[in-house]
Amino acid sequence: MSMWRQIGYGLRNLLLRAEHDRESRDEVEQYLRDAAEELRKDGLSAEEARRAVRMAEGDSAVLAARVGSYGWEGWVRNLARDVRIAGRQLRKHPSFTATAVLTLALGIGANAAIFTVVKSVLLAPLPYANANRLAAVQTHFMDTGRTSPRITGPDAVDVETQTRGVEAMSLYSGGKLGVQMRDHAVYTVVTAVDANFPRVFDLQPIAGRIFANATTDAGALVSEQFARDNFGSAEAAPGHVLHIENEAIPIAGVLPARFTFPDETQIWVAYNFEPASKSRTAFNYHAVARLRDGVSFPSVQAEFNALSQRLQIDHPGEDRGKQFRAEPLRQALTGDARPTLLLLWGTVGVILLIACVNVTHLQLVRSLERQREIAICKALGSSAFRILLPVAVESLLLSVLGGMAGVLLAAPALHVLLAMAPKTLPRSGEVHIDGWVLAFTLSLAVIAALASSLFPALRALRTDPADALKNDASRGMGRRGSGVLRDGLVVAQIASTFVLTVGAVLLLHTLNVLMTRDMGFQPQQMLVVDADVPAHSLADTRKAVQQFDAVFARLSVLPGVEHVAGIMGLPTGPYGSNGNYNVRGGLPVQPEHAPWANFSVASPGYFETMGIPLKRGRDFTAQDGYDAPFVTVISESVARQSFGDADPLGKQIQCGLDSDKWMTIIGVVGDVRQNSPAEQPGPALYMPMAQHPGYANQIDIVMRTRVKPLTLMAAAKAQIAGINPLVAMRFTTMDDLLDQSVAVQRFRAVLLSCFAGVGFLLAMLGVYGTIAYSVAQRTVEIGIRMAFGAERSAILQGVLRHAGRLASIGIGVGLVLSMVFSRVVANMLVGVSALDPLSLGAAALLLLIMAVAAAFAPGWRATRVDPMAALRAE
Amino acid sequence: MRSGAKVAKMTENNTDVIQGTLDMLILKTVSLEPMHGFGIGRRVEQISRGVFKVNPGSLLTALQRLERAGWLDSEWRQTENSRRAKFYALTRSGRRQLEEETADWNRRAHAIARLLKAES
Repeated sequence: MSMWRQIGYGLRNLLLRAEHDRESRDEVEQYLRDAAEELRKDGLSAEEARRAVRMAEGDSAVLAARVGSYGWEGWVRNLARDVRIAGRQLRKHPSFTATAVLTLALGIGANAAIFTVVKSVLLAPLPYANANRLAAVQTHFMDTGRTSPRITGPDAVDVETQTRGVEAMSLYSGGKLGVQMRDHAVYTVVTAVDANFPRVFDLQPIAGRIFANATTDAGALVSEQFARDNFGSAEAAPGHVLHIENEAIPIAGVLPARFTFPDETQIWVAYNFEPASKSRTAFNYHAVARLRDGVSFPSVQAEFNALSQRLQIDHPGEDRGKQFRAEPLRQALTGDARPTLLLLWGTVGVILLIACVNVTHLQLVRSLERQREIAICKALGSSAFRILLPVAVESLLLSVLGGMAGVLLAAPALHVLLAMAPKTLPRSGEVHIDGWVLAFTLSLAVIAALASSLFPALRALRTDPADALKNDASRGMGRRGSGVLRDGLVVAQIASTFVLTVGAVLLLHTLNVLMTRDMGFQPQQMLVVDADVPAHSLADTRKAVQQFDAVFARLSVLPGVEHVAGIMGLPTGPYGSNGNYNVRGGLPVQPEHAPWANFSVASPGYFETMGIPLKRGRDFTAQDGYDAPFVTVISESVARQSFGDADPLGKQIQCGLDSDKWMTIIGVVGDVRQNSPAEQPGPALYMPMAQHPGYANQIDIVMRTRVKPLTLMAAAKAQIAGINPLVAMRFTTMDDLLDQSVAVQRFRAVLLSCFAGVGFLLAMLGVYGTIAYSVAQRTVEIGIRMAFGAERSAILQGVLRHAGRLASIGIGVGLVLSMVFSRVVANMLVGVSALDPLSLGAAALLLLIMAVAAAFAPGWRATRVDPMAALRAE
Repeated sequence: MRSGAKVAKMTENNTDVIQGTLDMLILKTVSLEPMHGFGIGRRVEQISRGVFKVNPGSLLTALQRLERAGWLDSEWRQTENSRRAKFYALTRSGRRQLEEETADWNRRAHAIARLLKAES
């Protein structure tokens, strides 16, 4: 095979380079000697013969080089030589090289890190079998345009049985629950799934077996992680019994560690959903489906649309305006993270641009120095290719260095990024640097380096050699064009940095608004316990309420504790419910706009503990028991939206939380922001725990403390366990919960600020570089001006004015860009508009100061120019 | 990898070796007996009665190419005037290649000859 021989010969010649060269030389010399010999036979003298051969055949060294560079290895050797020369050039300009490599490394490193996240979260297929055929089935409401990620039981049955494109569909529903084992309890994510679940994901157990039939085969699957943490190994887990909500469930099998769908689930409990609810308005379940092989999402959606229309006719009341949606599972999982990640991606793109501008700038300065060299090459007739090749090789070398440094930077940056990322970032466990990232980084590096070097090189190439040779740039006679170009680059840089800075300022402003917002309660000095008492029957839950009452009593006498209460539906907490309600004697309502509120179940003393003001009426008391008349406390928004100016006290209200009994309004409290400081204070209904025990066994215990909240943890734990050792507990503080609720906003703000900071530094470097260069070039001019009596301060002012002018133009351009891009961040902002004049002004001022500061050092150096020395240099 | 052999014009009477035929000429020359570079060039010149002149750059490159294609073997040996030189010999697959190229060439040459005859 000829290719192998090619490779073999080539490798031999590369490895034994010296021998190969000697052989080529020997062969050529021998040839030429023979040729001379031949001529001598014709009667020429030895000297004449040698000269004649040399005239005819050329120099032996040139010939040997030509013969020796035959084959692909010749190419390799040429390239290696060019790279060596480029390396030597870079070593000769250490400050240029270091600045360019570092700048590229910053830009490329940031891009590599963010791309790693974007790739792993948004682009990579889910690590499940048939991942591209998995769909989340959702309910879309056409009249409101809202999409719920859930579906009702009967609708789900219809979707599964009446859609041909769906091969298998599974319902599931879950959350954090207390799980009791023989000797301990843990708090973990438990998901109830139907029998189809293993089929949809094609799950294979690594130990034990998969449950086959949820109706007859009660059992649980646990993750490898859970098995190892609690039983030592995957093999040891099957057969153990878990107690969840007072039900004993044997472990059937163990799933591989990489499968944690949904939401980092550790335990999947087989559950028979079918008889649970016949209501087409109870959105109790999530649904995941696997499409048939070869069936596309649009065709399934078409089937769904047809089905939705049929159901609207069959159930005109309950299914009105409903449309089922099949969303690719990956999209459904990562949709929320998308805007943030894309924002970050865009940001690092801008950073790279700024970095490239800096490198272009550096290259431009280099190419001005190189102009004479290029002019000479051109004058001697070098082709454009031969002139550009060393420039290209040099910048490729730069890019590889920058890219490698970038990857080295990216790894720790990624670490920090993931540590900072909000817990809600989907698939964060899958984020890692891989071949794709390296390929992306490398191509980015190459494009960046070429883009920033070829432009100056081409410019240099266009110059007329005669001109360039006459015009020695170092004497301050640089033509106008190059200065305008460099100024333009700096303006572009300042404009991009301005956009980043405005974004950062706006997001920081938002974060500040959120952190200092009045939540409607006092979050400081507050210990929070997620507490879960196993309960299965009404008797169980009523007993749980009694136990909690006892817990509150014991905790309230702990030293350092001021108030204690319990709540299902703590703001920013793990539990909660909401829905529509009806009133008697309130304002008229349109049937399609039934009033809506958050539902919370609270113990007496909750409002006082939280610092939620009681505006009218009274709080719950011990007398509001299960057998007493049902009562409720409403928030001001409910009073306003349902009763207007009328007095709500004594009026009747009904909601679908658990019972349809009418409740009497006994009090009105202030509104709170339920899920995050970003949302508006909204309507809320509070009901006593004793009257809704079904919602009172998973609660948050809130304790207002006089001391640091977490110092009471051990004491509180002991008290709770003293009453019921099976209570699963998790401790936190209200401040922490609030903090976590703004994690996404903080993540964005901090990252964008970091990136803006990097952009700021790079832009500063750019301004410094261009001003310093122009000052150095104008040394003679400045010397002459000073010789004619120019004040030093006037010289400094001139330099600073130049920088100020560049900054102003850059800021102007940046302002326009900010307006164009304001849409991107608009819905990430709270309490500040995307074109907030204060933020824009702050960013503008910051950049102006930066530019003038960066110009100060070169400006000051200009004033130190010694006129005599400058003129003598001429 | 293969680059067409380029042969410089030396005098008015010399002719460029037709593109692609240099390989065939070399193979043919070497098929008589193993030879070194200059010997091959001189033989091509002599047999063509000076019509073809081969320059060393093209010839030595072509020899490398043919060796790499597996058609020639090379060996450093003493010449008759006891100097060291690299001798090239035809391999078995080289002989086959030569036969193919010769047949091919003859076919073309005959075709062209017939065409020219028909023209006149």
